[in-house]
Amino acid sequence: MGQFDSVMNNPQSRRAFLRSMAVMGGMGVLAACRKDVSTSGSGASSAASAIPGIEAEDGILKVHEWAGYEAKWLWRDYAKAGYPDPKFSFLTNTEGAIAKTAGGYYWDMTHPEVGYIQDYLDLDAIQPWDTSLIPNFADLNPVLEKSGQLNGEQYEIVLDWGYSGVIIRGDHVDPSINSYSYLFDDDLAGHISWFDTPWIIAMAHVTLGLQSDPLDASAEDLQTAKEYCIEKTKNLQSIWVDFTQLWDDIRQGNIWAAYSWPDSYVVLKEEVPVQYIRPKEGCFAWGEGLVLRSDTANYHHAHAFADAWASAEVGQRLISSWGYGHSNLNVDLSQIDPDVVAVFGLDDPETNLSAPLSIMDRYQPQRAAYNRAWDEVKAAAG
Amino acid sequence: MATEAVAPTDPLEPDTSRRRAGSGRWKVTGGLLATPMVWVVVFFVVPVIMVGLYSVGAITLLRNDHYMSLEGWRFFISSDTYLSLFWKSARMSLGVSISAVLLAYPVAYLIALVSGKRKYTLLLVIIVPFLTSYLLRVLAWRIILGEGGIANTFLQTIGVIDEPLKWLFNSQFAIYLVLSYVWVPFVALPIFVSLETMDHHLLEASSDLGASRMRTFWSVTLPLSLPGVAAAFIFVFIPTLGEYITPQLVGGPGGFMFGSAIQSAFTAGLDWQFGSAMAMFLIFAVAILLAVFGRFLNVKSVRE
Repeated sequence: MGQFDSVMNNPQSRRAFLRSMAVMGGMGVLAACRKDVSTSGSGASSAASAIPGIEAEDGILKVHEWAGYEAKWLWRDYAKAGYPDPKFSFLTNTEGAIAKTAGGYYWDMTHPEVGYIQDYLDLDAIQPWDTSLIPNFADLNPVLEKSGQLNGEQYEIVLDWGYSGVIIRGDHVDPSINSYSYLFDDDLAGHISWFDTPWIIAMAHVTLGLQSDPLDASAEDLQTAKEYCIEKTKNLQSIWVDFTQLWDDIRQGNIWAAYSWPDSYVVLKEEVPVQYIRPKEGCFAWGEGLVLRSDTANYHHAHAFADAWASAEVGQRLISSWGYGHSNLNVDLSQIDPDVVAVFGLDDPETNLSAPLSIMDRYQPQRAAYNRAWDEVKAAAG
Repeated sequence: MATEAVAPTDPLEPDTSRRRAGSGRWKVTGGLLATPMVWVVVFFVVPVIMVGLYSVGAITLLRNDHYMSLEGWRFFISSDTYLSLFWKSARMSLGVSISAVLLAYPVAYLIALVSGKRKYTLLLVIIVPFLTSYLLRVLAWRIILGEGGIANTFLQTIGVIDEPLKWLFNSQFAIYLVLSYVWVPFVALPIFVSLETMDHHLLEASSDLGASRMRTFWSVTLPLSLPGVAAAFIFVFIPTLGEYITPQLVGGPGGFMFGSAIQSAFTAGLDWQFGSAMAMFLIFAVAILLAVFGRFLNVKSVRE
């Protein structure tokens, strides 16, 4: 420490020390800034150039997935065909996955919601699928697969889907209201839970009957919906981020109405009198699936993997296990809990996922504005 | 006895021996500092500069981000929400820091001046919670403070309350309590060091001069331990300013802090420019606070 002091107390030495720190800092910044955001090769160039046959591929797929989606039963046929097991890495949210991709993180496939396909395309990170290489594609829900298209090309094979509806305690709340208004109802004050998502503002938008697109609102409508949410924060018991805590709160009767995905209903319906509401304003719905890296070296293996995911048998088990929907229209519904089929409209997913019954997720050009508005709502909740 | 003749030094000749010694010392110092210097540059200076560049759009993440734009800064400065959040976080930091210091001082005093031979055993007991996961320690409070938790169940059992106290959890109270609990062991250590390294003869002298124990504490012990207290206070205040995980876990709807807004911008909104502007503001605020603390509390005496 004494020698360091002597350096820092000596003007000449101190200047030399600080100069060297600055030089190293500048070099570090320059090195860190030099990054290729776009990966080599666009979708078009990959398709145009001769794609080697499957024999030329190393077959080790790198799949950036949600935790739990690495389960072998989800790609059962791919494993049965004798291909090497993929290497999985895990994402916690799609925004983080996009940021990692922009920073150069490599994967052959990842599993985003359809609203983020445009972001990957903007990074030149993905290429269209060749659906002729996916035999099960013909059985997939065309409404969902259309949501996976951009510029007429199939950039995402949409495989699983769900609702962002409302779960209510039927012993405290009248199910006939059938509306997102449950989330803003003064009569339920102290017993409401929102998920931490700007979609709450979109739900306020449809509750108020505002005219513009709830996922791309006009500035006035966004302001109106935001202020409505701020006013209703007084009714909140919680803003959940952990669905297990939500389940506990519903079990204990602390929460009577909450933003919820289908899995909450599947888990809780045998324990407490809950009902899942697909609101009359149109239920917000989401789809997600596999996107293909633009410079993947395992083009054919990736298609085989996607085809395995798309099978009806996988769909049946996905629905039974997690309550999420699957895109394959040939799932044997007789093997699934009839109540789940009825509540989620699995008998006619094409109609139930179309307007006016559903408001399908899509790219939000005003994502930052919605997020900032949501920040204001959460700040007001304190 | 013959002696070697010493060549007389010419006063007009420069003293190269001293310059050579200084140059050698600088090289040794530079060599020893190289590794920590590289570490600080790579893991602190470069990232801070990059965040600064993101905040002004000199670096962008996505194609649609605003290149070379102060839009993020303009929105931040013009919005009441985020500055209010900063002050909310500052108040929380201040409250947590004060309560942590007040809780930790008696513990450190006991260990340093009262416990005798059991000093280091007790110190180990203080440190043991660090062996468990931070997240587990925070989540354990859910079991203690929740509506069906230990505290409410106990109070209802002994008849103090009829209904569970909702404000124990998912509240500002829970944030303050849990953060203070998390930081007390950290705070106790610098205060312990300050008390331990104090000249204990001064305490004896005070007693010999007739001062009571309380008088000795207020007039001798406390003033001498203030540098440790100041260090402990800063040690808690600075990181708590950007805290968001604990408020999110135990704070309920009111747990949205300035750090939460930064996290939200990066991880939910893909709004790196705006998030970087907020992060840079936090860095500037911390730097100003450190300068104020350093000037006001005489950091040199803390180092000594």
